Amino acid sequence: MTNAPNGDILTVEGLKTYFPVRRGLLALRKRFVRAVDGVGLRVARGRTLGLVGESGSGKTTVGRTLLRLVEPTAGRVTFDGRDVLAMSTGELRWLRRRMQVIFQDPYGSLNPRMTVGDIIAEPLRVHGIVPRRQRRQRVAELLERVGLAASYADRYPHEFSGGQRQRVGIARALAPEPEFIVCDEPVSALDVSIQAQILNLLSDLQDELGLSYLFIAHNLAVVEHFADDVAVMYLGRIIESAPRDRLYDRPRHPYTEALLSAVPTTDPDRRAERIPLPGEMPSPLAPPSGCPFHPRCPLTRRLAADLPADETETVGGDGEPIRVVARCTREAPHLRPVDGDAEHVHACLLRYDDPEG
Amino acid sequence: MICLGVIAAYVLIALGGMVYTWVAEMDNEDEILPLQQMVHYERKDQPPRLELSDAILGTDWAGKSTLYKVLLGAKTSLTVGLMANIIAVPVGLALGAIAGYYGKAIDDGIVWLYTTLSCIPGIVLLIALKYTFQDVTVLGLDLSGIHGLYIALGVVSWIGTCRLVRAETMKIRELDYVAAARAIGTPGPVILLRHVLPNVFHIAIIRFSLGFVTAIKSEVILSYLGLGVKPGVPSWGNMIDSARMDLFMGRWWELSFAVAAIFVLVLALSIFGDRLRDALDPRLRNV
Repeated sequence: MTNAPNGDILTVEGLKTYFPVRRGLLALRKRFVRAVDGVGLRVARGRTLGLVGESGSGKTTVGRTLLRLVEPTAGRVTFDGRDVLAMSTGELRWLRRRMQVIFQDPYGSLNPRMTVGDIIAEPLRVHGIVPRRQRRQRVAELLERVGLAASYADRYPHEFSGGQRQRVGIARALAPEPEFIVCDEPVSALDVSIQAQILNLLSDLQDELGLSYLFIAHNLAVVEHFADDVAVMYLGRIIESAPRDRLYDRPRHPYTEALLSAVPTTDPDRRAERIPLPGEMPSPLAPPSGCPFHPRCPLTRRLAADLPADETETVGGDGEPIRVVARCTREAPHLRPVDGDAEHVHACLLRYDDPEG
Repeated sequence: MICLGVIAAYVLIALGGMVYTWVAEMDNEDEILPLQQMVHYERKDQPPRLELSDAILGTDWAGKSTLYKVLLGAKTSLTVGLMANIIAVPVGLALGAIAGYYGKAIDDGIVWLYTTLSCIPGIVLLIALKYTFQDVTVLGLDLSGIHGLYIALGVVSWIGTCRLVRAETMKIRELDYVAAARAIGTPGPVILLRHVLPNVFHIAIIRFSLGFVTAIKSEVILSYLGLGVKPGVPSWGNMIDSARMDLFMGRWWELSFAVAAIFVLVLALSIFGDRLRDALDPRLRNV
């Protein structure tokens, strides 16, 4: 990723978040849902990292783990030079002011029994940011900052539309004056016309306040518009990551290729044939061996067709049996640079050595 | 609307009964008698007749007016319903919210407590508690009478509220506005007070109105068993108890009018409770 002159505000290394599941008679067997399974990320100061993936890929859990809303199993998160996962209660108060979150569901993220003014004032009250008498004034400023009338402060969330509620959520996130905001699918639940307004608002705020974003989304068109760098997640792992243009122009991982082929585009040069992805994402309770993508990977199927039988393997329990390259089921892939480009990394075993394969 | 009117009428009668009892106590010239002294052996066991003026609904074995007994019994039933719920609902609300929000060991402890209590059949537990309270005095309150009844009913009936509030809290705990509050750094107890309790409060209101019915019925049963209010205190349960030997002698009125009074009140309260639930429970709002 681009080394911005002022460095990274957030770095994540080897982050793992497992959720225990008890199953079976007497719940004796304890298994783990590997929601996040070794994720590394870097967010440069003042920039936006887009984190994309299907539902169930673990991207939301990454965001919640960074915020310490969910306890991680392993890994290292550094925010502004401080170790987030080792923070004491006092340090967490510091973190809560600097790292904020915007949620996907504009209906679930606002307490229906509180006025909009009280919702936005909550961070001010908890952290004692402005004196009590100036709170209303500050709330009015925040409402106007996100494009709402200051007079809305006494209304309840149900009186607002989805887009307006999302603006209220943004105002609440801005109230403690954070430097970094986790945007957890902030526009996925909105109408397309409203999506653009909210994205423009987020973008203006970034320019004015120098905010850094982790922008979690499943819509690649939105991410292309909004993010500076993009990381693609599959089954709890990052499988490709690059500055936006390089990823969109030259995706290296077959999963990224398939995702991008599904994005509607107006650029005739980039319009490729749509690559269908068979099957569904496997259960993170029992991820496939080797490369987690091999049961659905179009590339390994294509290559396996031309390989001798001893270099392939037949997989597929419940569906049709398929032939895949044996290496994909045995070797766990790691992120490697593309053509010596340290900022563009991917985790496809079949394309480590053969860049055009 | 009719049920509200009926409930209001009962409340007025109960208030009237309280005023009457108070006046009778203050009156030293014995012009206004408390119920215990309204004994007229010369007109005992009279069936309902219009000529009896102040005993139009008949009289009991001591010549006391059934009408007065029914009217004065309203106060006992309503205070029992009110006090039992004033004890039970806040306890259920607080424990349910704490168990649902904090989970883990705290949840295990509270769930253990209420499952253990609910293993014991409610009426048996009530009887056991009332026996334990015989001749016990706490803070100047004699627990063998009506005060013990409030506490015993409170101990038995917080469980349902606790269960419902716990389940609802577990749902709310996972909502984004709670996650947002945690991300802001709002302390746990403040989240419970500001974000959880206002959103489970409708359960408490509904349980209060429905719990009223249960408490009134339990008072009647315990008084019938001689474990409720003290003998001589006007109460519908006491009336049924003292009338049980009368029925096969053909003296039906005391029992009938006590039961009718209970029936109308319980019906009105049940309808009111259901309407309240329809109005307040968000899950039923779109039905």
